[in-house]
Amino acid sequence: MATTSELMDNLAEDPRRRAPLVLGGARFGDVTSSVCGVTEMPKTPRAWWIAFLVSVGMLGVLGAMLVYLISTGVGVWGNNIPVAWGFPIVNFVFWVGIGHAGTLISAVLFLFRQKWRTSINRSAEAMTIFAVACAGLFPAVHIGRVWFAYWLFPLPNQMAMWPNFRSPLLWDVFAVSTYALVSTMFWYMGMIPDLATLRDRAKSRARQIAYGIFAMGWRGSNRHWLRFERAYLLLAALATPLVLSVHSVVSFDFAVSILPGWHTTIFPPYFVAGAIFSGFGMVLTLLLPCRKFFRLEHLVTPRHIENMCKILLATGSMVGYSYVMEFFIAWYGGNAYELFTFKNRALGPYWWAYFIMFSCNVFVPQIFWSQRVRSSALVVWIASLFVNLGMWFERFVIVVTSLSRDFLPSSWGYFSPTWVDILTLAGSFGLFFTLFLLFLRFLPVVAMAEVKSVMPQALHAAEKEGHRPFGDYWPDVPHDEREGGGPSPQEA
Amino acid sequence: MRQMIDVFSENVRLDELGSRLIVRGLVLGVLGTGAALAFSMLVRQDQFERFAWAYLLNFAFVVSLGLGALFWTLVQHVTRAGWSVVVRRLLEGVAAGTLTLAVVLVLPLLAMIPRLYFWADPETRAADPLLAHKLDWLSYGAVSARLVAYVLIWAAMALWLHRTSVAQDESGDPQLTLRLERHSAWMLFVFALTVTFASFDLLMSLDAHWFSTIFGVYYFSGCALGSMALLAVLAFWVQRRGRISHAITVEHYHDIGKLTFGFVVFWAYIAFSQYMLIWYANLPEETAWMIRRQQAPWVWVSLVLIFGHFFVPFLGLLSRVPKRQPAVLAAFGVYLLAMHWIDLFWLVMPEFGRHGHGAHAGPWFSVIDLLLLIGLGGFAVAAVAHRLRGAALVPLRDPRLPESLTFENA
Repeated sequence: MATTSELMDNLAEDPRRRAPLVLGGARFGDVTSSVCGVTEMPKTPRAWWIAFLVSVGMLGVLGAMLVYLISTGVGVWGNNIPVAWGFPIVNFVFWVGIGHAGTLISAVLFLFRQKWRTSINRSAEAMTIFAVACAGLFPAVHIGRVWFAYWLFPLPNQMAMWPNFRSPLLWDVFAVSTYALVSTMFWYMGMIPDLATLRDRAKSRARQIAYGIFAMGWRGSNRHWLRFERAYLLLAALATPLVLSVHSVVSFDFAVSILPGWHTTIFPPYFVAGAIFSGFGMVLTLLLPCRKFFRLEHLVTPRHIENMCKILLATGSMVGYSYVMEFFIAWYGGNAYELFTFKNRALGPYWWAYFIMFSCNVFVPQIFWSQRVRSSALVVWIASLFVNLGMWFERFVIVVTSLSRDFLPSSWGYFSPTWVDILTLAGSFGLFFTLFLLFLRFLPVVAMAEVKSVMPQALHAAEKEGHRPFGDYWPDVPHDEREGGGPSPQEA
Repeated sequence: MRQMIDVFSENVRLDELGSRLIVRGLVLGVLGTGAALAFSMLVRQDQFERFAWAYLLNFAFVVSLGLGALFWTLVQHVTRAGWSVVVRRLLEGVAAGTLTLAVVLVLPLLAMIPRLYFWADPETRAADPLLAHKLDWLSYGAVSARLVAYVLIWAAMALWLHRTSVAQDESGDPQLTLRLERHSAWMLFVFALTVTFASFDLLMSLDAHWFSTIFGVYYFSGCALGSMALLAVLAFWVQRRGRISHAITVEHYHDIGKLTFGFVVFWAYIAFSQYMLIWYANLPEETAWMIRRQQAPWVWVSLVLIFGHFFVPFLGLLSRVPKRQPAVLAAFGVYLLAMHWIDLFWLVMPEFGRHGHGAHAGPWFSVIDLLLLIGLGGFAVAAVAHRLRGAALVPLRDPRLPESLTFENA
């Protein structure tokens, strides 16, 4: 039995048993009430209102900027020759990247049987969808005449005019829209049992009806669960390649060109690693305050944070590997332009952006080698902010440095964003946080049903039917074996 | 979860089977290598040029399987995997066996560098402006030193993992598991860098003008896939010989099958990324390498890879059924090992005969390639059997062994 000191700490490492993923001695009912409690608070907390008003204010700024942009033209941005891809593309790639953690957690970690994902997958998926929404905005307004945005799609028309199927920009349209569709479906489908819980607990008629509609008549019968789990597995299998494909296609936007610094073969896996890195950075940025504020520390435990830190360390180092490879091959390949580009990145006029990128993405995550750092929520949170910053600057470095100084020195330039650029970026955060706050207030923030399936109680129920409880296999092994003092196999 | 299998009542030792394998492996090794030498000397009479290339190919093949096994062992520790404990010793044995063998096998390779790499040729070095800036990096001394360093690092890591795991068979100390986990993390970093630069030095520098940032990942994807395929074959084989016949279950094969399938796709993803980006940008310094592989006879090998290395195993392993049939999965394992060899063949041999020593193109295939596969493969079998014979085939007192024994795919 867990002692008091273990109640809120599951970082102790004993390979003989799996650490508990739900702490504080919580039972099924406690999980339901603490998760539902977030949306069922009779009075919306003041802090939520403050955050919401700030976010909506920023969303308003976004709206104003877009109106100004569309009514005036893209000249209000800093985009100009030679840096024709400025902030809009940087922001697009930044937001799409953030949108990678959700599906990775729900699909890839599901296939890898990482049970700890259950506490964080719902909010990460929500974040994914909102990030993809922010991302989708930028290319749409970047085309200039937004009323022709539908030309991005291959729609049969009288002009017999088609998008260029050989262009990765078109692949992007497909990749991102498929991703948005599948991840929304995945998110919503996973939420159905929890929506039914909210429906059943609803006190007001309006809530009953609203949750009732979205719960689609879920009764929790065996047949429902059977189909649910099959559908979940299938969607996970479908979503897994999407985790890789979306950012690979985004990387193709750059890498198919012949521009030094853009054209390099490692771009697809490098972008995917960076996307997962930035996505987990944002998950931590959002989840750490939420778990504190809504008292979900027993569900999003120190071990969850530790695991996410390790993923940051791994993916951040993969990104670092790619930086090193790019630099090495720029020298090894002997192409003078390529080598110049990388020297220019590190030492040229944008050295500060390169410095921010490299230190935030490669050096900052190295602090997670230390378990003391990983177990300090505040340090982790601050590091996650650096990760977000670093990943934005990575895209800035890629887009701007390569374009601003390419083959012909006579056409070099220096990009500076305008105030519209900066306010549009800030406004996109308004959109993101508005959506996320609405999610927190109205939807189940943790996948209750899934969390319950990894709690010991679920497994004790199985144990009654003659199965072993999850994670504790040792009762069956003779006691002397457990202590490591038994006969060695040679003697036995 | 299924009922726990009593692993202590199983036959978990290779015993005389191991000794027999060592003898057979050595015999094959000596015969294969000897026949390759004889063929080079008496029939080809090319001063061992093709022999050197075939040796490089098969060295890269044997080492790739050890590296993949090393990678999988490290990953199992870092992720604290439970399911795989029962097959982990096989991986440890493959890694320790082939990578210690590599320390020996690399020595002849050092002698063959002048026959393999045009950057090693003094005349070329003096005259080739594209090499001028990296003469220090690609010099006989620097490359030899790096190659020796790589194999020593690999062998040290693999041996340590194997020894520590075997020590746990004796002591049953759970602390050893924690130690393995802790050290595996930084070892993965060392692994990534050494494998990348080894693939640059061994394979990419065959055409020292050509470069591709993804090349290390490409070689790695083959390592990971090949060794997972080998694990399916190895597990099936030891079970057929009455070893650990119950503890490795269909569930473990299913997971091995899933990872194999995953890396079939990963390999294709990396291969496609590399090819597509080079094709699209169409820069002469990059396309030259690909164009060589798009002309006869290499185009046929390329097509074999597209279909044989990706489409066939993709469709074949997509369903749950073949992954849960050990014999079928093992057959796919043998097939994928063959494909992996062809993949390395495709990396190495199109560069053969383009430079130096008379600059004679082709022939695209030589018996020596296969003779040396038998030769180096035989030595590798002996080396792996030697490692596997020295300890139980299962980490008997790994604290997560019970989890592995009761593991079931939901």
